This record gives sequence, structure tokens and C-alpha cells, in this order.
Amino acid sequence: MDAFRRMAAMLAVVMFGWTAGPHPASADDGRLEPQAMLANWYYLMNELVRHTATYSPPVASRSFGYLGITAFEARVGGSDRLVSLVGQLNDFKSVPARLPGAAYDETIIIGAAMSDAVVYYFGNTGPTGQRAIKAAQRKWRQLAVDGVPEDVVERSEAFGKAMAAAIHQWSLEDGGAEILNMGFPENWELPKGDDKWVPTNPIRQQQLPLLPEWGTKRTFAIPSGETCPTPGNPAFSTQPDSQFYKEANEVYVAVNDTTPERTAIARFWSDDPMLSMTPPGHWVSIALQVTDKAKLSVDDTVDLLARIGIAMSDAFVGCWDAKFKYNLVRPITYIRKNIDPKWEPLLNTPPFPEYPSGHSTVSGAMDAVMTAFFGENYAFEDKTGSPDGRNPRHYTSFHEAAEEAGISRLYGGIHFHSAIVDGLDQGRCIGEFTNALKTRK
Amino acid sequence: MRHLLIGALVAGWLCVPAAAQESAPVIPKFAEETKAAGLDHTFAGEWEFMVGGGAATFDCDDDGFPDLLMSGGVNKAKFYRNASLRGGAIKFSAQESGLELDMVSGAYPLDVDGDGKTDLVLLRVGENVVMRGLGGCRFERANEAWGFAGGDLWWTSLAATWEHGADWPTIAVGSYIDRKEEISPWGSCTDNWLLRPAARERKFAAPVVLKPSFCPLSMLFTDWNRSGTPSLRVSNDREYYEGGQEQMWKVEPGKEPSLYSAAEGWRNLRIWGMGIAGYDLNFDGYPEYFLTSMADNKLQSLAATPEDGSQPKPTYADIAFAKGVTAHRPYMGDDSKPSTAWHTEFQDVNNDGQVDLFVVKGNVWEMPDFAAKDPNNLLIQRADGKFVEAGDKAGVASIAQGRGGAAVDLNLDGLIDLLVVNRNEPSELWRNITADAGRWLQLRLAQPGPNRDAVGAWIEVKCGEHVMRREVTVGGGHAGGHAGWHHFGVADLAATELRVIWPDGTAAAWQKVPTDAFYLVERDKSPAAWTPN
Repeated sequence: MDAFRRMAAMLAVVMFGWTAGPHPASADDGRLEPQAMLANWYYLMNELVRHTATYSPPVASRSFGYLGITAFEARVGGSDRLVSLVGQLNDFKSVPARLPGAAYDETIIIGAAMSDAVVYYFGNTGPTGQRAIKAAQRKWRQLAVDGVPEDVVERSEAFGKAMAAAIHQWSLEDGGAEILNMGFPENWELPKGDDKWVPTNPIRQQQLPLLPEWGTKRTFAIPSGETCPTPGNPAFSTQPDSQFYKEANEVYVAVNDTTPERTAIARFWSDDPMLSMTPPGHWVSIALQVTDKAKLSVDDTVDLLARIGIAMSDAFVGCWDAKFKYNLVRPITYIRKNIDPKWEPLLNTPPFPEYPSGHSTVSGAMDAVMTAFFGENYAFEDKTGSPDGRNPRHYTSFHEAAEEAGISRLYGGIHFHSAIVDGLDQGRCIGEFTNALKTRK
Repeated sequence: MRHLLIGALVAGWLCVPAAAQESAPVIPKFAEETKAAGLDHTFAGEWEFMVGGGAATFDCDDDGFPDLLMSGGVNKAKFYRNASLRGGAIKFSAQESGLELDMVSGAYPLDVDGDGKTDLVLLRVGENVVMRGLGGCRFERANEAWGFAGGDLWWTSLAATWEHGADWPTIAVGSYIDRKEEISPWGSCTDNWLLRPAARERKFAAPVVLKPSFCPLSMLFTDWNRSGTPSLRVSNDREYYEGGQEQMWKVEPGKEPSLYSAAEGWRNLRIWGMGIAGYDLNFDGYPEYFLTSMADNKLQSLAATPEDGSQPKPTYADIAFAKGVTAHRPYMGDDSKPSTAWHTEFQDVNNDGQVDLFVVKGNVWEMPDFAAKDPNNLLIQRADGKFVEAGDKAGVASIAQGRGGAAVDLNLDGLIDLLVVNRNEPSELWRNITADAGRWLQLRLAQPGPNRDAVGAWIEVKCGEHVMRREVTVGGGHAGGHAGWHHFGVADLAATELRVIWPDGTAAAWQKVPTDAFYLVERDKSPAAWTPN
């Protein structure tokens, strides 16, 4: 969907309470339902992910973690079904409470919470993003407050803002709040050895790896980044009969003998930072589409968005912990050195170690969480924005989508098979910690 | 392929004395003379002027000294007549010219109607306006008289050429974001236009839309493969396009423009494209291109140049890192965040025969992830072809919010001076006062017919064993350009040889000339020495 269609869909949500595909509900009085307000902000934030220079996949996943929790906790006090995550997530000790017996408006609360949260997490976006945020704050607030008593507006906005501020305050101590130089360190000692990662492009900024300490960041639901370890890459070898060489040759052949379908898969899931909404944003987009189509209630919507945010953030911390334990060389380096010096992968090779695959880990986590939420064999269509003109793809289950996201990295020439298999497993392991969270009474 | 000299790619390749090759390059010196020169100008504006800020230099009073127009954004564009004396302090005198329009983001000079008087195209947020030169530094609107469609868009870039056989220029104009989009402006790039000559009339035809359009901030007609027919390079801002990339259009007479494709060798490159500068750095006959962006900048060189005389594929390798011109973060101060680069030019600021690179820097607009104190770059080329930063030592490392600029000899002393247009801060001017610079040549071309300034010509100057080449273009940089003298540094050569390959492909004979001099080079005539004042 191009920007115009996406925007048209957003406006349709706002103005008419429906979209071409998904179907956010309107209240009986025609006002915007809170889940539609939430969807509007999420669509905008997914744009900001692409258009904010610090938003590499780990950083995007972290923000979606806090954004999902913000929306969830903003709703908990108005629901007779939900229970707070306070005490269940690392260092998450308290949130503001609603005034007993006082009237609140759920759409205004969600709008106010997201209106402030977007500034907390995307306040570093560029001038066009700032302009868009201000316009959205102004226009969407007006749609929410029309016809609501003034005291309810004030009370609801104050509560939403307080919730966003409390979650943001908690976020500041997690080790991921400040991103400098787009995530590339000024100094970092690269491990030596033929099996070790080396820079793979001539971009000066990317001669050191992205966010090498992200694996030590505070997690949400898993105890730490080490919680779901991977078994490790096959023993490094340049011998043609070795497993390592065979996996490299598998990548080499896959790229050289690619098919239109494999190329389409690689591009569909490429999700390059600063050129797309990144892998976390892609899975958020899937969640929004499915949520819309299923006409989820506001309780279900905030529950799902909180869970996927928590799981995807934990997945990247776990993955980065493993990446910088193994510091494995990328296919482009190994293949050019040992198989074909002129080989080119289909996709841009990301500027950090290979094992395990980040997209695989996050996709494995999303498989675990979304399958637990919607059930096995939940078929859906993914119409995620297609900046490269890609077509929608159909899946019979979240498991199938995750597997395809994983193998897309091999088709694209940027990951070996083991990194994909082990990444998916790691993600599923991490996702089960999110599934164990209690969000319902 | 015509007139192509394949240069030897060896170290010690330039007309630099042997001793100089062993030593560090001459670091130029500049004196800041903005106020002293009478320059008092600010390019100002909010969101719609976060880009732009171009400057144009041209000689509109026929005294040889470059006059100046600076875009003003919400302020009116400001014209300055050059009142300098040769070799002295730079002096400008603001005066009414007819160019004082508001909402101007850039300006490019060219002689549209071939009357020998420079005209200008003003890029605006709103309607572009072409201004006819009347002589004596007076200008008048000519949109209607020349059939020039000005549109109503956020115009950001321009390039011009004379297609073979045409008696009227072809102008490409690039537009940016749909400025009416508030919440979702991304992916809203508006159309770029190609304005070609009308049939049987000396005016422009209705514009042809160059689809897809990807929010360019610089365009340049350039004969990248030396085919004799320039193509249109377009550097696009990836912040706003979807599915976009850098582009190069084939613009051949009588044919619809078409993009170079991946099948032809064009590689997908997606940058925050903001400016283009071209120059044949390695003496192989083909220009390299410096592309400004955010964080790493790009220096593109053809990946392969066939030795069998066939034309190369449009496949470029990025050699910025290898040559030391990534200019990806500030080189001074305590701000180590990524840089933001805008206007750029290749000029030899120390006249050692090795062209140098000027890059104007400045944060887009309170972007905290990018350097706020982002000094301009002056990258000096060494004898081995690599560049070293000298902006701070040279005295031009301003940390104001730079956008457009100009690197021209404003007082005709043979040394390239520097001008920077800042956003919401006063523009700045530096006079080149390098004491130990080399010798130089400056040439001005003229030919009969409509393309009087010989846009599309190549000027070749021998320098030791090598031939330096400069393509005569209209476009590139960021939102501004020059008409007038073409400058070459020639180290310590007291005399050298030059020739012009005219736009129709005719190569003039080599002519030996003394250096440290200006020459009017008219077609079919010997170069004529020219003396200022």
C-alpha cells in the first residue's frame, strides 16, 4: 500500500470508522473507538520508525514494547477483564491509578497517552516527523473530545498523560534510551579471526557493528538476554566437506539460482532500516491488520499490542546477546574469500555479526505470541506497506509467516541456514515468557 | 565514444613538482570578509525552507567579475553587484535587479535565449520563474514570453542542456514533497518536469513529467559515458520517497526520456541525496560524482571502463572511503554525531593541479541525532589522489546551518573564494588569501548560435603528463550554480596547453598559453587573453 492509500486508510479510520481491509469499530454515537485511535497512532509511529535515523530494528522493538505497555496500562483501569503487568515485568513497579468512581473516556485516554508517548519515543525524529506529530495531536484530539463533557476530557487526558509519563520514566533506566551515532559505537574492539565478523561495506559509519551492547539491555519478560541461548554456529571451516562450507555454498547457490518467488520473498521481508518500518514494524503492521480484520475489542487489542511489543523487544535483546558472543562472519565475507570473489548477495548485508538471524528471532517470537493469541492455523493476508512495490502475501498460520521471514534471509544472501533455524527457536523460547504473562482476570 | 583519452592510473599522476609529491599539500588560507564585503543576507524560513538556500554567480554587467544572487526563502532574494577590484578585498553592492522575489529556494544562471545576456531560473516554493537578462544587471519575468511553465510545487532542483540541433535549452526541474500533506507527507513526492523546446518556436513546450519522481534535491545533465549526449542524473532524498532510488535518465533528441535500468547496469542506491558535483578525478576521461547526503557521502567512479573503446555501463563503485571523502561526521569540536551535507563543488583551492572538494554542512532542523555543530568541509587532494580535511586550518569551518554555496574567484586574483548560504543565519563569505598557491588559468567559452556559453562542452588543460577535464554544465550543487569563468590550477607551470571539445563534439586544436591569466575562448579562434578592469 503506498503512502496515499495508507493515509486514505488512516483517514477512513478517523473519519468513518472503517478501512478498506480492517474494520475498527465505532461506538453507537459514531465517535471513534479507542482501538481505532490506537491504530491511527500506531500507523503514524510505524512511519516514524522508518523516518527516524536512530530506529534500527532493536531500537524500534524497544519502543513498541513501551508503547504497547502504555496503551495496555492506560486501559486496564477501565476494563473488567484485564489485570496490570505491574510486578510481572522487570523493574516495573507501579503505574498511576484512576480516581475511583470518576467518569473517564477511553478514546481520550488512549489518544492522550499515545500523543505524549510518541514524543517520548520519537522526539528525535526530523522536522517532517515533528510536523506530522503536531498535526496528528491536534486533529485526532479534536475528533476524540467533540461532544465529551469538559471535566471528563480533562480527567481522561490527565490520566493518559500520566500513564505515558510513568512508563517513559521506567524506560529511561533500561540501557537503551540513548542512541548515539545512529547506534554505531565510536570505539569497539573487533574480535580477530577468519570466522569473525568484519565490516561488509565501504560506509565509514558502519566499520564498527551496530549496538554491540544491546544484549545487555534490561529485558521485559525474560530475566536477561542470556535467557534463551542458541546452540552456536557450526564449527568454522573452509573445507568443502565441512558443515560451515556447505551452509555457505547453500547461500551462494540460493542467490545465484534464485527464482522469482524466492526473490519476492526476500524483498517482502527485507525490512531495511530507514527504508522501511523494519522487522519489528512489519510484525506490528501484521498485528494491526489482523486485529482490524478480527474486529478485536479494545481489551484484546491492547493486550495483543503489549504482548507483541514485549516479545519483540526481548527477542532483539536475546538475539544481540548471542550475536556478540559468536561474532560470526557474514556470508558475503566468507563466500568472496572461499567460493567466489565477485559474489553479490540480493539484499544489503546488515552491519553486525551474522549468528543468529535477528529477523528470525523476532519472527519466532511473534509466531509464539500471535499463535497463542489467535490459535493455530490462523490464516491471514499481509498487505504491509510496500515501498518496493511488493505484492500482498497469504499465510495459513503465523508459523508459516515466521518460517518464511526466516528463510527470506538465506534467499537474500545475508544469513546461513543455522542462524535462521536457531534464531526462530530462540525467538519462540523468548515468546513463551511473554505468553506466560497474566493479563486477564 | 568520442575524444576519449584514457589516462594512466598511476601514482604521481599530476602536474605537481616531484618535491611536492613527497610533501603535504598546500593548505589554503581564507579570510572571513562577509561584513567587510557588504554582504548582509539571510535565507530564512520554516519547514518549506529546510532545504534550498542556493546561490547563483554570473556576470550581468560584463565586467568579468561574478555578480551574485542569493535565495531568501521567506525573505526576498537578494542581488549583489560585484564591486571588487582585482586582487583586492571582495566588495559587493546590493542593488535592485528585478530578481527580488520571495519564496525563492534556489537559482541557476544560463543564457536561455542566446542573446549573450545571462538569464536566471528562480526555483521557488510555489511558481518557478525564469528571469530574462536585460543587460546592466536588470531582469524581467519571462514565463509567459518563453512558455515557461512555473507550476505550483515545492521546487528544489534544476539542470539544463541544449539537445543536439536545438536552438532552445532543455530544462529539468525537480520538485519535493506535497506540501499540503501534514500527517503523512512521506511517499508524497510530486512530479519532476522536463521542459523541452517547442516545435518551430523559440520557447518551451508543455512540460513532460519525469515519472517516477523521487523528491530530488539535485539534478545534473552530464555526459557520464562521453557519448556526446548528456544524461540527467537525479539525486533523491530517500527520506520522502517510497520505492525510490538514485536515478539517471536517458534524454535523447526526439525521444521520450527513459531511465537507465538494472539490466543496463544501473545499481540501486538510496541516500539522502542533496547535492551533486562532477569531475574527472582519475584522468580516465569519465567524470566521478560526489553525492552529498547525511552521515556518509558518496564518491562514485565507474566500476569498469572498457578498453576496447565501447561505452561503459552505468555501474558505479563507491570510492568515498578509499579516497577519504566520506565526511560523515564533524572533524572538529565535541559533536561526533553524523553530519548533514548539502552544496558541493570540485575546485582547486590551492592551484596545485589537484582539484579539491568543498562541502557545505548544516543540521536539517533541530535533528538531535545529527550533529548540530557541523563544520563545512574543505577536502584537499593529495598527490596520491586521497583527500585530507583542511576546513579548520583554512578558516572556513563555520558551524552555522549551511545549505547552498559557491566556490568561485570573486576578486579575479586566480584564487577560488568561498560563499555559504546558511539557513536562518547570516550567509558567510571567505576570501582566499593563500600565499603559496600555484598558478592558474581561467577560461570563458563562447560560441555562435543559441547555446552561447557552450553548455555541454569539455575543457581540457594539460598538466604534466595528464589532462584535466571540466565539463560545462548547468545544474548540480545544492539549488545553485555559476556561469562565467572556468578555473584550473596548474601548479608551477608557466605555460600549458588547452583545448575545448565543443558541445557538438568538435575538438579544437590544442593551444599553448601562458598561465596566471584569463582567456576568452571563442569557437574557431585562438584563446584571447583578457584582463580585468
